[in-house]
Amino acid sequence: MTNPKLLITGVFLTVALPFGALLLSSQVQLGGLAPAPEEEGGALYPATVPGLAVQGRDVYISLGCIACHTQQVRPSGQGNDIARGYGDRPSVARDYVLQSHVLLGDRRIGPDLANYGARVAPAPKGTQTEPEKATALAKSLAAVHVAIHHGNAFAFLYESGTQGEVPSERAATLAAYLLSLRQDYSSPEAKLKK
Amino acid sequence: MTQDNRSGRPQGRPSPGGSRLSGVEAQLRGPFLLFFVSAVIWLLVASVLGLISALQLRGVSGEIFTFGHVSAAQHNLFIYGWAFNAFFAINLWLTSQLGRFELRNAWLVSLGAIIWNVTLTYGVLSIFAGDLNGFSLLEMPRTVGPVLAVAFLLSAFWPIVAYAQRPTGHSFASQWFVVGASFVFPLAYLLAQLLVLWNPASGVVQAIAHSWFIQNLLLLWLGGSALAAVYYFLPKVLGRNITGYYLASVAFWTFFLFAGWTATASLLGSPIPVWVQSVGVVGSAMFLVSVIITAINFHGTLSTRSGWSLAWNSTTLRFISFGAVAFTLYGVLNAIFSFRGFNAVVRFTSFSAGQEQLLTYAFASMVIFGAAYFILPRLTGSLWPSAKLVHLHFWATAIGALGSISASLAGGWQSGKLLADPAVPYAQVLTASAGLASASVLFALLLLVGHLAFALNAFGMILKSSAPAAEGRHD
Repeated sequence: MTNPKLLITGVFLTVALPFGALLLSSQVQLGGLAPAPEEEGGALYPATVPGLAVQGRDVYISLGCIACHTQQVRPSGQGNDIARGYGDRPSVARDYVLQSHVLLGDRRIGPDLANYGARVAPAPKGTQTEPEKATALAKSLAAVHVAIHHGNAFAFLYESGTQGEVPSERAATLAAYLLSLRQDYSSPEAKLKK
Repeated sequence: MTQDNRSGRPQGRPSPGGSRLSGVEAQLRGPFLLFFVSAVIWLLVASVLGLISALQLRGVSGEIFTFGHVSAAQHNLFIYGWAFNAFFAINLWLTSQLGRFELRNAWLVSLGAIIWNVTLTYGVLSIFAGDLNGFSLLEMPRTVGPVLAVAFLLSAFWPIVAYAQRPTGHSFASQWFVVGASFVFPLAYLLAQLLVLWNPASGVVQAIAHSWFIQNLLLLWLGGSALAAVYYFLPKVLGRNITGYYLASVAFWTFFLFAGWTATASLLGSPIPVWVQSVGVVGSAMFLVSVIITAINFHGTLSTRSGWSLAWNSTTLRFISFGAVAFTLYGVLNAIFSFRGFNAVVRFTSFSAGQEQLLTYAFASMVIFGAAYFILPRLTGSLWPSAKLVHLHFWATAIGALGSISASLAGGWQSGKLLADPAVPYAQVLTASAGLASASVLFALLLLVGHLAFALNAFGMILKSSAPAAEGRHD
């Protein structure tokens, strides 16, 4: 205690131990995760998101949306996110491997958004014709823009045009980002129940 | 762990101090006041922002004041502006008192203070401008990080220098905590900056790194610095030894040993490996060891020979014993709500904000206030201008803190219970917590009033005294 070297070394070790045990070993365990196919030879999930959605993610971060919205579904033993309809399966580490900055969030003043895209725009059924699909997409896009407004608080993202309100570029990218949020695929760690 | 006690000083009690100190204090005066005045200004700004975010003035004046921006700016200013500046000042003062440390390079410290506060201003303005990150307390643009780390070293590395150079073999618990805290923060901050912002780790490992950083910042730096102040002021003002002082070294080591392991308890249910979550639960339970020992030390000292009533009648100790009780409560609450069943209810609600406020406000900030009431009269050589403002400050902050923390905790539990029933729609949960939300506006207002009273009193005193304190010590 009276020896400064001993004190500093001791403190250093107490800080380094959890760092090594929690962080480095998680990196070893999770660092190699990559998108995986739902079934042998199928498409890889999580899928890469379109460029518009990547831009929208920056808008999401810069507006501070994470203060009120999480993007994670807890397993059914831990809370009841699944029963509440936030997702059909718990989120797993693999769902986030393509995100350069993970936006898990820790406060739900608004609903969870991990599966927001899947909720607003369910995957098209095989029986739908092309025009039907286009109408469905336009309808979900309109719903997303209503949600982005939050009443009137985020009206600054919209410009008034000749035919009513027009989403600004930022609103359009944000909508694309929100529609891209979906964990509605089977992952090797968490299968969807069919 | 044995103490060398060559100086023959009673164990468990800091050095008595004397006329010698005025010279040491005169060197400290400039940097101390620079830190302290900045801290109080940031506290006022943070309180106003806290009131705005409590009012949920979302998007009132366009995109600058979105709730996300206001709450991030408030959080950063309260921690990096108020608490950091205040502990830079208090730790320097404690170091000079305990280690007979003469600060010869005061200009370096002042330079650190200026860099810290200018960079912080830039960082917070960037948050309002929309240039922010999604990790709490790392929201400021990443370029701010290295500069803040350098400023931290200039401002807060001195306790380590002083500890290595101190002339006597004797050391006191406060010194260990200050040295440990000052050593840990820059390390954790730089590693977190690296793993979360500059060279992001893969996927959710970022979230684990972030939770580790938050625990190091809040518990080891803020909590450690505040514990140092409690260990100093309790025996100093009461004029008695710490009860069970021989346990203090165990408290110190268990505190540093387990604090980092509690981190991942804040990620229960998140998409991270389950063993990492479980380690956090175990860590939070083990952390109780240090909480219990500090409770024996603090509450034991206060419970003998009418210590509580003596503490109540001393302005410094009234605040500090409030803080000491809050730390015990925090530790117990933290352990209980790390258990999966309880945590599942309160996760993602205002509960965790209440827990954090219990640590950063009811504990750390109240200790800072108490320390300021002791130190400032010595450094400025004048009295606190108004006793009424002191009373207003105590009652407004005590009631405001208790009220807003209870509102966050109770509101979090209530909405968590409602959310646990999938049949309850989200809108109904928001309506149910509306009452507590309006109460928290009231408490935020009370806190602002208390901080204004403190600022008026402190600034009045600093302005009144232009000459360095040579004589005239007032308690």
